[in-house]
Amino acid sequence: HTPGMSTGCQSGCLTCSDYNGCLSCKPKFFIFLERNGMKQTGVCLTSCPSGYYGTRSPERNDCTKCRPECDSCFTGNFCTRCRAGFYLHQGKCLQSCPEGRAPNDAQRECVPECP
Amino acid sequence: WALLRRGAAAAGQGLSTPAACSPACRCDEDGFADCSGRGLTSVPTGLSAFTYYLDISMNNITKLPANVFKTLPYLEELRLAGNDLSFIHPDALSGLHQLKVLMLQNNQLRTVPGAALKNLHALQSLRLDANHITAVPEDSFEGLQQLRHLWLDDNSLTEVPVGPLRHQGNLQALTLALNRISRIPDHAFANLSSLVVLHLHNNQIEEIGTSCFAGLENLETLDLNFNKLMTFPEAIQTMPKLKELGFHSNNIGIIPEGAFRKNPFLRAIHLYDNPLTFVGVSAFQNLSDLSSLMLRGASRMQEFPNLSGTVNLESLTVTGTKISGVPVDLCNDLALLRTLDLSYNEIGMLPTFQGCVKLQEISLQHNRISQVGRETFQDLSALRVLDLSRNQISNIHSNAFETLSSLTNLDLSQNALTTVPVVGLGSLSQLRLAGNLQIKSPLNARRLPKLRSISVPYAYQCCAFIGCDPFSSSDEVSRKKGAGGDEGVERISLVLHCSPAPGAFKPCEHLLGSWM
Repeated sequence: HTPGMSTGCQSGCLTCSDYNGCLSCKPKFFIFLERNGMKQTGVCLTSCPSGYYGTRSPERNDCTKCRPECDSCFTGNFCTRCRAGFYLHQGKCLQSCPEGRAPNDAQRECVPECP
Repeated sequence: WALLRRGAAAAGQGLSTPAACSPACRCDEDGFADCSGRGLTSVPTGLSAFTYYLDISMNNITKLPANVFKTLPYLEELRLAGNDLSFIHPDALSGLHQLKVLMLQNNQLRTVPGAALKNLHALQSLRLDANHITAVPEDSFEGLQQLRHLWLDDNSLTEVPVGPLRHQGNLQALTLALNRISRIPDHAFANLSSLVVLHLHNNQIEEIGTSCFAGLENLETLDLNFNKLMTFPEAIQTMPKLKELGFHSNNIGIIPEGAFRKNPFLRAIHLYDNPLTFVGVSAFQNLSDLSSLMLRGASRMQEFPNLSGTVNLESLTVTGTKISGVPVDLCNDLALLRTLDLSYNEIGMLPTFQGCVKLQEISLQHNRISQVGRETFQDLSALRVLDLSRNQISNIHSNAFETLSSLTNLDLSQNALTTVPVVGLGSLSQLRLAGNLQIKSPLNARRLPKLRSISVPYAYQCCAFIGCDPFSSSDEVSRKKGAGGDEGVERISLVLHCSPAPGAFKPCEHLLGSWM
């Protein structure tokens, strides 16, 4: 038992410590640092939390922040859901919709205009 | 519709009574049910019919039987990640007519459960990443007319699922990264006219057809990093809207002439970690949205890339080539350039960088530069760092640095200088002169008031900058404010690091003109 290392890791963790939570994750899990005031706690997730997107690589799977106007995204350049006041069109969160499309507040999307 | 649904839920259950829930879950009034990480081996029952979000990820559910979600017709998001799922009954998901998001990642699936997905006509996002999928049956996504986002990364696919994707005209984002795909056949993505993002990184792609990306007329991001491509992916020419292209960490040796002529909107090109030997002069022309260009180690490259029309470049790196000259009109087009790294080439003559008024860092070390003229760096008032080390500079015009009001770091080490022009170096905090063995005279400290660190050819030259008291620490010495010591020499309170520092065997007195 390595000093400082916890014996009971949360699921998905490979290594963890009592104070910092997960330090590394099992394969295929995303590592994410949860903030609680000044403290950061590592957690291992099957998908990144809302507002972040996951990037998989052979060595490690990371969570990265979406653009500020996105609630959720596929990559840094492609949003899948917008924040209030923005409307989704082809992966972009716009404040106004392009021609031929109208803003839908419930879905926060640009939808085809009624004929 | 969401408001109607919740209103109905409240009315259906009587406003005062809490929403139906399962003991193993946490539910709220809005139809949100979280049953994740409870060690469940089956889908919980007893949930409200108006549940719209159900998270049963991170449990131990290995099989989904038929009709297991039949009582949840309003479900919009279903999370089943991390369950060791290996079997999904063809009727397991029946009744989920409003399902938009289905998360099946981090399970043990070996094939795409096409039959079970067939009737999910509203599905927009499907996650199948991090399974062990080797096969994608032809009809896998047939019923999914609204599918926009598909994750198939981190599986065991050996080929692009061309057939199954053929009818996905609404698909906008697709990742096939981290699989074992070795080739991309022509017309592999023919009907994906709405696709904006395509990730293929971390595969084993060696060969791609010249028309393999035909049909992707709206694609903006293509990631081919970490593959085994041996030739430049000419197939990108069928993608006029491409903005970000990555093919770093491949085996590409040549970037041909006009490589990106059909991709005028490119903003970022990631091509490092390729054994480049040659880059076509015209490869990077007319890329008016490109902000950064990094070319390293194209060892057979002899001509400076033609950057006409690539007017928004902010960072340019061309290193490790046989380039011997820099175009005199380089700065006509690069008014926004902030960092310029042309180190480790064979550059002899320098043009004037006068038009590049935003330049902050210039790296020219390891070239064959022999002189610096008055206009070379004229008017570069934003320049902070200038590295001219390891050249053959014997002459620098006395006013060469006159207008460099922001210069803080100047490296002239390992050259053939006999004197150092100090005009205009009032802001300098770091100066490197080591290796200029012909500079023997003492240096004028008063013209370098803000100096913090200096390296000089000979120890005695440090004496102009530090008091040569025997008690001062050999390296870190501070000079005290106030008149004292030599007549008129003002000592400013600065921490100054000077090397090689004078000492017992390297006294301050300049003996016999040189030091053995």
